[in-house]
Order: sequence, then C-alpha cells, then structure tokens
Amino acid sequence: MQRDARHNFMRLMLGACALFAMSAALVQAQTPPPPWTQGRSAEQESSPLKPLAPPPTATPGKEIPLAKAKLPPGFKIELWAEGIPNARSLALGAKGTVFVSTRLRTEVYAVVDRGGSREVKMITKGLNSPNGVAFKGGALYVAEISRVLRYDNIEDQLDNPPEPKVVIDTLPKDLPHGWKFLKVGPDGWIYFDVGAPCNICVPPATHAQIVRLQPESGTLETYAMGVRHSVGMDFHPVTKELWFTDNGRDWLGDNAPSDELNRAPRSGLHFGYPYCHQGDTLDPELGKNRRCGEFVKPVLKLGPHVAALGMRFYDGKMFPAEYHNNIFIALHGSWNRNEKSGYNLTRVSFGPNGEPKAEVFVGGILDGQNFWGRLVDVLVMRDGSLLVSDDWNGAIYRITYSK
Amino acid sequence: MSSARRLLAQITGSIAGAIAVASALAADVEAGRAKAQTCAACHGEGGNSANPAVPSLARQPALFTMYQLMMFRDGRRKDPQMSPVAANLTDRDLEDLGAYFAAQKVVAPAFTGDPAKAEAGSQAARGYHCLSCHGANLMGSDQIPRIASQHYQYLRTQLRLYKARTRSDLEGQMTSSAQALSDEDIENLAQFAAGFPPP
Repeated sequence: MQRDARHNFMRLMLGACALFAMSAALVQAQTPPPPWTQGRSAEQESSPLKPLAPPPTATPGKEIPLAKAKLPPGFKIELWAEGIPNARSLALGAKGTVFVSTRLRTEVYAVVDRGGSREVKMITKGLNSPNGVAFKGGALYVAEISRVLRYDNIEDQLDNPPEPKVVIDTLPKDLPHGWKFLKVGPDGWIYFDVGAPCNICVPPATHAQIVRLQPESGTLETYAMGVRHSVGMDFHPVTKELWFTDNGRDWLGDNAPSDELNRAPRSGLHFGYPYCHQGDTLDPELGKNRRCGEFVKPVLKLGPHVAALGMRFYDGKMFPAEYHNNIFIALHGSWNRNEKSGYNLTRVSFGPNGEPKAEVFVGGILDGQNFWGRLVDVLVMRDGSLLVSDDWNGAIYRITYSK
Repeated sequence: MSSARRLLAQITGSIAGAIAVASALAADVEAGRAKAQTCAACHGEGGNSANPAVPSLARQPALFTMYQLMMFRDGRRKDPQMSPVAANLTDRDLEDLGAYFAAQKVVAPAFTGDPAKAEAGSQAARGYHCLSCHGANLMGSDQIPRIASQHYQYLRTQLRLYKARTRSDLEGQMTSSAQALSDEDIENLAQFAAGFPPP
C-alpha cells in the first residue's frame, strides 16, 4: 500500500516533470518573434527592411518641398496647416473645425480656419495612440488603443475642452495594429477596425475585424471579418455601403501581396485574412486547406506594400464632374519593399460598368528611393477642396481646382 | 557647423541636396551642446556616462533620443531624475539634443565581461531577432538605439523592465520581443551588447 502510494507519487512526479518540460518546450516553440518580423523567410532574416518611424516633431512649413508635388492640370496643392507633429486622421466639425489625430504622440489638435490663416490648437494630450477621430452630434470621438472617448460640444470649447466621457474602454490592448480609424456610419454607429496583433497569425476572435459601436449605448458588434488592418474607410455617398482599405501582410516578397480596396455591402462578410490575400493568393502557411473562393475579393488591388491608409469619396463640387463619387486614397508608402512604392495620393474612378481604375493623383513625393512626405488621410471640405495630412512633416495640405 | 557639414553644404548644389541639408541643419548640434550641459551631470561629458545605471547617449540615433525625451515629457516613460528634466522641453529642444548626442563619439565604458556569456548572448541575439532592428553592428538607426558598448547594468535593467511590461515602448516591439527571454538570456544579451565594441 505504502509502496503503491510511493510508486504512484513517483509516477505523478515524473508525469508532472515531463509535462513541465513539454510546456516549457511549447513556450519556447511558440515564442513569437516581434510582430513585424513574423512570417519572414530564412533568407529574409538579414533584410535591412524595418518599419519607418517619422520624426516626432514637425517640419517648419517653409522647409517642406511641396513644389515638387505633381498634380493633373488645373489642380493646385498648398500648405494649409503646419506644426502638427505626427498629423494623422482628419475629421470635420459641423462648424468647420478640422480635427487632427496623432499616433506616435499623445495629442489631438483642432485647426480653425481664420480666412487667410489657420490657427492650430492642441485640445487634448496624454492619450494612448489616439489615431481615430470622428465628429457626431456636436461631439468629437477619439479612439485610443483600447478606449473610445467623447468630448461633448467640442467646437464651442476649443480653448477649454471638457473632460472626455468614456464611451468604451474594453477594446483589446495590443499595440501592433492597435491604432484605430473612426468613421461615423449612415446608421449613426461608429465604425472602426481592431487590427491583427501580428504580421501574420490566426488572430483571436476579437481581432482582425471591423466593428461598429453604438455610441449612446456602448453596444459593440462585429461588422466585417478577415481584415488585417484597415486605417481608412468611408461610406458611398449614394449606396451608403461601407468601403475600406486594408494593409496586406509583409514578407511575401517585393511584389506580393497587394493592399486592398474593399466593399462591404452588408455585415458578416469575411475578407480573407489570414488565409487568403488580395482575393486570389493563399497564405503559404495559413492558407493550407483553404480556398480563396470562401472569401470576399477586393474591389481593387492597390499595389504591394504601398500602405493604403485614409480614403474618402469625393462628393464635393469644386473638382470637375468626372471626379464625382471617385475615391481618393492616401498611400503612405512602403517599408517592406526593397524598391519603395506608394508615397502618393491615388484616385480611383469608375468606368461605365463600374469597373474601378486607379491612377496617381498627387505624385512627386517619392524621388528614386528618397521621399519627402508620407500621406495619411484625406478630407473633403465643404467648398469642395481636399485636405491631405502628412505625418512625416506634421502638416496638412489643401488641393483646389480652377479652370 | 562641423567642417564636414559645411563641405557637404558646399558640394550639394542641387535643389534636392539643398533641401536635405536645410532640414539636417534645422536641428542644431551647437544649440544642442549648450542645452546638453544639464544632461552631463548624469550622462557624462559628450553623453558618455560613467554611471553604470545611467545610459550612454553618445552617438545614439537622433530619432531615438528625440522619442525617448518625448516619452519622458508626456509621461509614457517615467524616471525620478528624467521626468522633471524632460517635462518642459520643447520640440526644438528634442531636435537639438537629438542632433547633438548623435554627433558625439562613443567612449566605451570599462567592462570586464564573461566571454562565455557574451558568446551565448551573441547566439541569443540572432535567435531573438535583435539584429533586425539594432543592426549587425548593434549601432541602431532612426528610432532604434545603439546598444553596442552600452552599460551592462543599464541594458540588463531595461530588458527586465520590457519583460515585466513596465518599460515604455513606442510600438510594443521590445515588449513583445522580451517576453521570450529567460533571466539567463537577459544576462547573456546584456553581456554581449555591453562588450560589443563601437565602430
């Protein structure tokens, strides 16, 4: 009896030891590399490519070589606001205030147009990667990594902003792809992305999706799945459908996969990540035993590694008629590509049968392997002019048209 | 202005060159030198710290110094000495200090390491992808710090803080990288980097 007990105890101990060793080995095997290096092949281990960090301070406006920008005839680009370090997403208030977010800093800014000049005011600071801004019902909504905040009646209190109300604070806390783009939908809900916490992985059920938040009640719903990281979305002015950009995975070579322009006419659709990229390319590892036919294909491939970020439908009246309901997309520019690509503002127009066509609208930012700016978001102003933010220089440009 | 910079300014006649030089000069090494006098008390002359708990700043990439000062300023990174010093820095101060320390020569602190641990650290550095960002020469670039010839004690402390998820981290890369490290890995990596000579 005693011997049996000892024997059992020994077996238990041995089992426990084996289990411990196994779990230690598992931990070792499952230890992920830094998120941005995941999915890199052995040959790519020595690649000098790594994500680019912008200067954390702003470039004085007179030093930004905006004259190098190339636009179609009749269009003009000018410096609209400067001194907004790390300027990211744009939102327009009912009274004309332009709200500007940051990602690597902690501030949100308001820009007030005084006719000939613009006044830049910092309205809040100390936030955690506050990349998302949206305006609804007099309030400014700001998305951090894991919270959405609301600043009521903000445009009347720009010099003395109110303490924010917390709309939701239970979003995932992962930093990789954790920054948000906010957009108010035609249904009054606020749409944003919870990005994949990695380059390529089977994401937790809470991640790699576009969600929508009912701002009054705090109700959160999944809207679209299989989205790696969308940092730009808009609703079609006529059909009211959600369109969004998505950033493709890294380390599949210089020419794959493409960033996507997608359309989600209803909720519950799956856009492929991490199994299928660009609608037609199975992931070499995670795509095994899957078919791209299971997923919704993109409307348009925007190019490999171009970093397609902010997008807006052009519903203004200043630009020529053929621009009506076109899409402008800011291509921030590549890091995971030996020859740089993107670094422009792209126009997407549609043929008679709705066939999409992309062309460079603002070029001249990339010269060989050198660039002088990185565009993040676009905003159609009430006069029909177009604002574009640049987080490399901490500036906002304005594009106008005249015959 | 250094003579090398002046020469560069003279020989770059193109518009692109002039713009590149103009923005490089926006941050001012000499202004940074004056502003860095406060720093020398702890970080040493020219940013070569004699205190093993205080990091050396000489030849740190300018963006790295700027981002760390910014995070001390906005409270993401906290330290009893640094937080009050950084609280009132302007963006211009960040630029000048970044440019100044990037231009200083590294004087490697005396460090008697354990060659076996340093060798193990060299292997670990490869296995844990350290060189992807810090470079084969561990000199860093842009927002990534130089860790070659950094103080052993400081490196070890920082790795422990990253593992404990309490060290400020711009995009979470170091926090996620450090989760895999054992105490032994941390010891070996700190030995490896501290003993790695600057170029």
